[in-house]
Amino acid sequence: MSAVGLRMVNIGKSFPGVQALRGVDLEAYAGEALAVIGANGAGKSTLMNVLGGVLRPDSGEIYIHGEPAEIHSPLDAARYGIAFVHQEMAMLPTLTIAENMFISTFPTRSGLIDYRSTNERSAQALARLGCDFPPGTRVSHLSPGDRQIVEIARGLLIHPKIIIFDEPTSSLTRREKARLFEVIAGLKAEGVTVIYITHFLDEVFSVCERAYVLRNGETVGGGMIKDLTYQGIVQMMIGAKEVTSYFGQKAGQAGELALKVEGLNRTGVLQDIGFELHQGEVLGLWGLLGSGRTELLRAIIGLDPIDSGKITVRDHGNLKPIQPKDAMNWIGMLTENRRDEGLLLPMSLKSNISLANLRGLVTSFWPLVNGGLETSLAEKFVSRLAIKTSGLDQPVATLSGGNQQKVVVGRWLERNPTIFFMDEPMRGLDVGAKAEIRTIITELAQSGTAVLVVSSEIEEIMSVSNRYLVMHRGRITGELPGTADKDELVAAAAGNR
Amino acid sequence: MSTAEKSDAFSIAEGDRRARAMTRDRLLAILPIVILVVVVVILGIFTPNFMTTRNAINVLEQASALALMAVGMTAVLVGGGIDLSLPANLALSGVLGALFMRGGGNPFIAALIMIVSGTLVGAINGYSVAYFRMIPFVVTLAMQFIAVGAATWLTESVSIANLPMSFVDTVQYRLSRVPVHVLVVVFLTLVFYVLFRNSFFGRWLYAVGTNARAARVSGVPAQKVIFGTYAFAGMTAGLAAVITVGRLMSASALMAGENVVLDVISSAVVGGVSIYGGVGSPLGAALGALLITLISNSMNMLRVSYYLTLVLKGVFIIVFVWLSSLRRR
Amino acid sequence: MVKKLNLRDFLMSYGFAIIFALVLIFFALGTENFLSLSNILTVLANSAPWLVMATGLALVIMTGSIDISIGSILFLSLALANSLMLNRGLPVAIGIPLILLMGALLGSVNGLLIVVVGINPLITTMGMMFALRGLALWLTSGLVQNIPPALQQFGRIGLFKEFIILTAAVILVLVHLLVTRTIFGRHVMAIGNNPEAAARLGVRVKRVRFLTFVMSGLMVCAGGTLQIMQISNVHPRLGQGYEFTAIAAAVVGGISLFGGEGSIIPGLVMGGLTLVIVENGLTHLGASPYVYPFVRGGIIFLAMYADAMKSRVMARVHVVKDEELTTTVPA
Repeated sequence: MSAVGLRMVNIGKSFPGVQALRGVDLEAYAGEALAVIGANGAGKSTLMNVLGGVLRPDSGEIYIHGEPAEIHSPLDAARYGIAFVHQEMAMLPTLTIAENMFISTFPTRSGLIDYRSTNERSAQALARLGCDFPPGTRVSHLSPGDRQIVEIARGLLIHPKIIIFDEPTSSLTRREKARLFEVIAGLKAEGVTVIYITHFLDEVFSVCERAYVLRNGETVGGGMIKDLTYQGIVQMMIGAKEVTSYFGQKAGQAGELALKVEGLNRTGVLQDIGFELHQGEVLGLWGLLGSGRTELLRAIIGLDPIDSGKITVRDHGNLKPIQPKDAMNWIGMLTENRRDEGLLLPMSLKSNISLANLRGLVTSFWPLVNGGLETSLAEKFVSRLAIKTSGLDQPVATLSGGNQQKVVVGRWLERNPTIFFMDEPMRGLDVGAKAEIRTIITELAQSGTAVLVVSSEIEEIMSVSNRYLVMHRGRITGELPGTADKDELVAAAAGNR
Repeated sequence: MSTAEKSDAFSIAEGDRRARAMTRDRLLAILPIVILVVVVVILGIFTPNFMTTRNAINVLEQASALALMAVGMTAVLVGGGIDLSLPANLALSGVLGALFMRGGGNPFIAALIMIVSGTLVGAINGYSVAYFRMIPFVVTLAMQFIAVGAATWLTESVSIANLPMSFVDTVQYRLSRVPVHVLVVVFLTLVFYVLFRNSFFGRWLYAVGTNARAARVSGVPAQKVIFGTYAFAGMTAGLAAVITVGRLMSASALMAGENVVLDVISSAVVGGVSIYGGVGSPLGAALGALLITLISNSMNMLRVSYYLTLVLKGVFIIVFVWLSSLRRR
Repeated sequence: MVKKLNLRDFLMSYGFAIIFALVLIFFALGTENFLSLSNILTVLANSAPWLVMATGLALVIMTGSIDISIGSILFLSLALANSLMLNRGLPVAIGIPLILLMGALLGSVNGLLIVVVGINPLITTMGMMFALRGLALWLTSGLVQNIPPALQQFGRIGLFKEFIILTAAVILVLVHLLVTRTIFGRHVMAIGNNPEAAARLGVRVKRVRFLTFVMSGLMVCAGGTLQIMQISNVHPRLGQGYEFTAIAAAVVGGISLFGGEGSIIPGLVMGGLTLVIVENGLTHLGASPYVYPFVRGGIIFLAMYADAMKSRVMARVHVVKDEELTTTVPA
């Protein structure tokens, strides 16, 4: 009977206007790996920030190996033996491995850093993970997978009782991933409590003994992995009720060819990409994180350079080859990070919508934007897309996620693109907003637009796609019909041909 | 990492709340203006001849070239960059035009040369920043050295005088006591104000200054915009050269006095242009230039040591940028 | 696995040394007397104070920040101390430490405004540059002051050049050790790499940054003191442009303006020497002094270009190699 390594009881945390965590309960056992699963926005990061001492909870208690723990700062967390391996690794590239590991705990000798000791200890820590990197190597020379090992080694320096992995496999090669899993197995054998945060369900089944599912800031279910099924977990993630209605009416028929890509190459990122996209269809670009989907969209649209490739679009009835830098004349783009790349946050809703259409708003000889036209343009989309706002001048920073997304969609719609790329259009939205975006996608397709949707959430992509294109490591590895089921999609994404 | 998203109802309320409760922000916005008004009033009380038309025209005259450069600087600052080479650019352009005239060239062409030269220097800056991704302050700093060096070399450290009267007279021509160049600057400022605010490239500029990545994704040609801001600033320096050479009736490398850069940046900052980009108007900058000149002028008339004026200006700009940074929080 | 060092990495890291060598060879071959002992001594003695002055600023740059007020800090400190020594009979033994103290104090004002209050470093140090210079000019009424006779005498002793070079060398080695072998130095680099990550890893970012500004003021005064003994007066244009020379030396010497990269030895030293050698060499070649600003501006430009190229290459997203990723499919 393993001991309870970590218990979190009734953790609540709210931010102005938002209840991020509503009484989360969680139990993790020593020598076992607990998966914490949830969609983006479910509360995983907030919960981990509480555990890591970055945030103070409003309510609840934390017990570590049965003892109550007061964690008010990252230092406290470290003292309680909690180690983090973050998704965005805290690495200092121009410093060496040893320096990175001991940056705040350098052994010294008469005021100066004792490098011999530092290097020795760092080599020892790495050896524990089966690694023989020379400690004097600059971190900038390491691959992300290697850096992760260093980060883990650093975490292990404090002899942690609990170690938390936050989305660890995003940029790993197969070998590195296998190595990671070995490391985790080793940690479990030593009695460490492992917490594994991920949204890749297949990893959960291969690495963890238990799982908890978070949704909307509370634990909605969990248990021993052997008692759970894939379907069951998905149901918990999105709410059992919605599963059936989610897979509702999908978009229309595929019409004429709208976009054709051939031989697209970008060294090291994309390899020999070729596909077709038809009017009126929704093509789901599916694959795991790191498969190159976002890179593909950005390459076609000209945001990233390409080495070779041919892009053809339908322009006024004729097929016409184009350059990526001109692609935005035909293709609308919803990027995956609307706050960073989609919106001008401090600016008004009106300005955001008109941003991609400014030239079109110039009605006279002078290069001035027609204010009245701008307003009516914004009004048109506010009503068409049902954007909830207090006024056209409201800064988009204060809009909810769903409405922000609609602003970006509206911006492109005015240009009447024949093709629309949407990268993770439903990310970070609540179920209601997701449904609305889904409706918009469906309507777009029904009106003849060719839509390409990228999503890492299997339910999302299944809910809109007529057809799937599977990507893996920068290549298109397969095509599946709209009727494909989850297992087929998962298998395809994993690279099994 | 995502944070929990807000509900629709909440965000509407928040929008309202924000619009209504901007007290802190408004206060901070007004504070610089209050400070300026206080300073001007104090100066007005103690300076002899302060409220005379003659003084006013004098100040306007002295401020016109500065105002032009401040407008140019505004474009660069709004785009998120900075340009330390404007006064040096002015000097070089002025020298080139003056040399042309000394060699018997047509004054009108000389003025064109000055403007073109200014724009070209600005374009080099712009290209380096926009396409080579070099750091603006260092690039324009290096350019400043080069331009001053070139000007010094071309003039062999001697200022060029004896310029054709036609040139000088055109610049200094007065329309009921107000010099033509002042009117030209006023006119241009208003034109640029409208363009910055309402033209599509003006909108592009503010978009790039607010969030260059988002602007790019929306199809805004960010690199061209940034390039354009420096070329524009260079052009204003060239124009300012015409005015300065005409006013001083000579051209030399000394026109790029080191504290002119401070004045240009101060004018913009005092005029509400943010160092961080995305905020600011040419009208504000021009008014800022007016104020800075007013203060310098009054200090002069009050016989305050030039050196202490420097101290004041240094402190001034720190305070203003500080206030501006508070508003961002 | 660990990437092996290739030619590009080598160039990126040691380009400045190559430039230095090339410059040296060029002028050695192209002129007479260039490699004579007296010329070498002169060059070294001229560069020594500059290199010392630049060390503090180099620390600031390594954290990713900037300080353009050092010239004015020096001027004010020298003017004040000199004035006290000349007019109030302050003994030189107190005067010199006073200069250093003033440097550290003014540097800490910068640190306060930039790190504690949080004002933009470029503007803050620009404002300080003008304010402090104005203050110093006001104090000296814009006149030239001679330094105390004691110091002037000292500047005329035999082997003075050697003394300067030696003192500077010692200081440079000490600062180099500070950067490479102390916790403070490693923290400076950490901050330049990634301030958020550094903070998360327990580095006291604010404190370290504050200290770099103090060092900046301190070192410019240390170097300036060495220089004043060579020049023997305090004149109104003293210190003008020093910050830019220091920045140029840093950039040419491989210290990236983006932070987190570079070294004192050999970096800053070679960068500074390159600049001085170029000017010295140009004099030997009989070039007109008007050419100097061009050359200097041009060198800074090129060095900056290289710096910008470097940071673009380094920042490129690491590309995952061609390996298959498999996951086990749930039963």
